[in-house]
Amino acid sequence: MKKLLRRLVILGAIAGGIYAVRSYLRGETSATGSAQMVFDDGSTRSLASNTAEGRELVDIARRIVEIGL
Amino acid sequence: MTETGGAGTAGELDRVVADLRALSEDIESCAVLSGDRDLLSSSHDSAVDRERAGALLSALLDLSDRAAREGGKDQATQLRVDVGEGHLLLVRLDGGGVLAATTGSDARVGLVLYDMRNARGEVDRVLAEGGDQ
Repeated sequence: MKKLLRRLVILGAIAGGIYAVRSYLRGETSATGSAQMVFDDGSTRSLASNTAEGRELVDIARRIVEIGL
Repeated sequence: MTETGGAGTAGELDRVVADLRALSEDIESCAVLSGDRDLLSSSHDSAVDRERAGALLSALLDLSDRAAREGGKDQATQLRVDVGEGHLLLVRLDGGGVLAATTGSDARVGLVLYDMRNARGEVDRVLAEGGDQ
């Protein structure tokens, strides 16, 4: 029983480590890029690339920057 | 560079875009897209590259309009996208088209946008006279 519990703790630690590394890598990827919209009433809206809309905008904009206009 | 209707309008639009690029050295490429999503002026000479750039720009505008509507707005008058490797800058024209430019990552973006907003009036005037929008 004690052996089983130890294995469970080790498995949990490994799973936690994998999850932490994955989250860290995802967070780092999503940090590259952002979009800022300005409207005629002077208000602004910012979209970070960790949102679905922001990611789409940044992906297309990146391709445009790569090939030029 | 430009494939609009009248040769006079095409030449005028090219001149305005060339003036903008000369004024704002941080601009790497520049384009004008009409309200009907036609690429009126581009830094590309190749038709394939122009078509690709026009399609991507049009898709970006659609996304931007959708995001604006979701936020309860009509459409953005200015859009700035930082992509790490550089910036994509858009300034809305009177007829729904856009003046767009790309810059490098270390560009003085505020200054480029200022120059683009100043050039917008001239682009609008040329397009209105040519009846392209």
